Amino acid sequence: MINKSVLILAGLASGPVLGGVISGFDRILTARFQSRIGPPLLQPFYDVIKLLGKEKVVVNVWQAFCVNAYLTAASIATALFFLRSDLLLILFIQAVGAVFLVVGAFSSTSPYSQAGAHRELLQMLCYEPLLILISVGIYFQTGSFKIESVDAMNQPLLLKLPFLFVVLSFVLTIKLRKSPFDLSTSHHAHQELVKGLLTDYSGPLLALTEIAHWYETVLLLGFCSLFWTTNPIGALLLVGITYLGEIWIDNVSARMNWRWMLGYGWGMGMALSLVNLVWLYAR
Amino acid sequence: MQALTSILILLPFMAAVCCFLAESGRFRSYIVLATGGILIASSLLLIFYVPFAFSPQAVFGLNVHESVQIPDFLLMALILYYGFRHRSLAVIIPTAIQIVLMIWFEGFMIEDPVVQAFYGDNLSLILVLIISIVGSIICFQAIPYMKTHEAHRHLSESRQPRFFGIMLFFLGAMNGLVLSNDTTVIHFFFEATTLCSFLLIGHDGDETAVRNSVRALWMNSLGGLAFTVALMMIYRNLGSIDMQQIIQTPPGAGLSFLALALLCLAAFTKSAQFPMQSWLTGAMVAPTPVSALLHSSTMVKVGVYLALRLAPAMQGSFLSHCIAVFGAFSFLAAAGLAVGQSNGKKVLAYSTISNLGLIFACVGLDTPESITAAILLIIFHAVTKAMLFLCVGTIEQHIDSRDIEDMRGLYSKMPLTALITVMGVVMMIMPPFGLLLGKWMAMEAAAVNIFVIFLMAVGSALTAMYWARWAGTLMSDPFAGKFTLEKQPVLTWAALLSLCAGAGLLSITVPWLYAKLFTSSMTLNYTPPYSLHDGVLENAYGVFAALPLCLIAVLGFLQSILSVRWATKARISTPYLSGIQTAEPRVFTGPMNQRVQAEAGNYYLSNIFGERTLTVWINLAAGVLLILIIGSTL
Repeated sequence: MINKSVLILAGLASGPVLGGVISGFDRILTARFQSRIGPPLLQPFYDVIKLLGKEKVVVNVWQAFCVNAYLTAASIATALFFLRSDLLLILFIQAVGAVFLVVGAFSSTSPYSQAGAHRELLQMLCYEPLLILISVGIYFQTGSFKIESVDAMNQPLLLKLPFLFVVLSFVLTIKLRKSPFDLSTSHHAHQELVKGLLTDYSGPLLALTEIAHWYETVLLLGFCSLFWTTNPIGALLLVGITYLGEIWIDNVSARMNWRWMLGYGWGMGMALSLVNLVWLYAR
Repeated sequence: MQALTSILILLPFMAAVCCFLAESGRFRSYIVLATGGILIASSLLLIFYVPFAFSPQAVFGLNVHESVQIPDFLLMALILYYGFRHRSLAVIIPTAIQIVLMIWFEGFMIEDPVVQAFYGDNLSLILVLIISIVGSIICFQAIPYMKTHEAHRHLSESRQPRFFGIMLFFLGAMNGLVLSNDTTVIHFFFEATTLCSFLLIGHDGDETAVRNSVRALWMNSLGGLAFTVALMMIYRNLGSIDMQQIIQTPPGAGLSFLALALLCLAAFTKSAQFPMQSWLTGAMVAPTPVSALLHSSTMVKVGVYLALRLAPAMQGSFLSHCIAVFGAFSFLAAAGLAVGQSNGKKVLAYSTISNLGLIFACVGLDTPESITAAILLIIFHAVTKAMLFLCVGTIEQHIDSRDIEDMRGLYSKMPLTALITVMGVVMMIMPPFGLLLGKWMAMEAAAVNIFVIFLMAVGSALTAMYWARWAGTLMSDPFAGKFTLEKQPVLTWAALLSLCAGAGLLSITVPWLYAKLFTSSMTLNYTPPYSLHDGVLENAYGVFAALPLCLIAVLGFLQSILSVRWATKARISTPYLSGIQTAEPRVFTGPMNQRVQAEAGNYYLSNIFGERTLTVWINLAAGVLLILIIGSTL
């Protein structure tokens, strides 16, 4: 029982702490890629604290509801991940958060929010089946959807599910809002949709969406770490290299449109998943 | 228990006759209310008598089997009459063949059938509860609805006696269908639901209504024909018309798979699976309570009920495998079509087809886990879908449109109805609600089958997309947090709120339901797959934390509601537009000081997901799959 509470607390703390630090690293590395020095490591925390102190302004009071639901869902999904619970359950709860963020954006009539919300829905359409297929691959290998059973493996999953890991890194690019998939909103408010889905979130509510995003980052990187559970250093290396790869892709690619994303994501993602699953099935 | 069964089946018939004869609207309303009340009470009482099997004593020397023969022929003759009246060969031919076959079957093949007339296990009980409770609530809501409906249409003479008569008759026929064990009696009720749906779809009597109702009639007549042929083949194989005896035959031991495949075909027709989906999408021309009834508690549930009943006889067979793939395909295809729709009722219709496909997929997988998922899906789909249909009906009478685009910002016009609709959407796609629990169990059960899980994974993502879009559209308006409740008749509020509360409560009580209904006398060969502890269902490969999730969801909801209170104190601003803000939320000052109106519409991606693009291909694919299913059994 105490053990479980510690895990839940660790999960709940991981978003605001670990997620923020990762975001700080991300910004420094991105700056170095672009020959800039970049902000201090703790800049994301300063930003969020500053936003939290700003005046409360909303377009529609349901925005507050939606943002809170998003944050709650994201934090619960992360806590459940730390509890080593059911993979599909974690994915579904994560999806609840994503849906609420979209509904919140819809509640403003600004065409920027609306178009951003639609694009976010298309992004979800693209990555959700892939995440489920990755879980199915893990089930094929471990015989269970519980993360505990992944921990019990004596061989890294990466060796058995290499293609599914590629698919996961693809999903990661979409979820982390990196180019070429930063369609619905990006880290910089200079795209054609202003800030897309987040346009009408401001002040404290915007800060909460940022924290929720940190939770999601931790959750997805945790998902990556499942592919190397036999050795903590191996897991750290795998996650680190994958994240570096994401930043690199972000900096070398341009934004694509949703048709390309859906066609490429479903085409490549499903083909790779199928190959990997059939390979496991055949053995 | 005999008394309860006869109340559940015969009372609606008698009440239907009274409604039909009643001139006074007030008297008719009382009949509907009283019948509904008694049905609800008796269905709840039935819980204490399950399982049971009995044959009532002969009345006037006729047992149940014999006394249903004449009405069965009358019913088919009536369908034939409507076929002639609407000059539809597609109705006449299958019905005529069916009558000939039935005469041959009843007259020359069956000798002294030894059959248990009624049989009730927890599956029948669940269906009876859904039919009696959800069905009655829909009938209650129909009372104020039909009043407004007829006022809109300026009828010289009210057609409500006919309407309520058929609605109640429908409930009786459904109860009869799920409680009967004699397959010829099931056939009678099967045909009765076909006729009821035909009459209800054509209720308004205009050209489209008639055309669509005839389409429903011919499609379901084909299903009826398949049913009859299957009965005859089964009798040839086993010499039995007793459902329990039939399904006790192990797969491959004497019972031909072709007969089972034909029964499944009949089930697919009733449940409007591709390529027979058009009767259900056409059915939305009827008054909304009819759609609610067809989609949630009656008609389409006949198909999945039959398939669930037959599942033990198909266990492990190739036929069963084919059904799983077919169902999963339907789930995906209907979800795709729903994405392309802006018509609210059509979205609901495709979502029904999609969910039924998912249930068929579970039946086809035929593991205890997937059967559990199927039954949970049936329960929660019935409650939630009834609620959503009633919401759309209420909205339609208010804004004279069923288009999602016209529901933009409905929240500011009809706050409570819009909120209940959003709640319904949430219940369709989100944990901890029962539908998602069912889908989740289905996916974990389907993970062994690469085809099925692929189709389910994509279908599930499409589902989330069209629902989220609708919920978002309803809330889309600048809104400061003060609202005045819209006015609705008491019965409308009662129906909407009771369904909403019911779906919520049922979701919380899933572990209890499981312990109560699934652990004993469920269908044949069903072994409860999950162990239960602290409100968590768990098996070797999954943890379904039903109760804990509900508690967390309640806390999360309360916290989010508090945040709304916080936000009502915030400064309300207008949405960002690309110019100088004005006081009006959708207008900004653009270049040259021009007033610019901003517009936004939803993506329906109709060049990808539109009916025109997809339907042909989906029907073709489904046709091929059906041919495969039938062909595999030859």
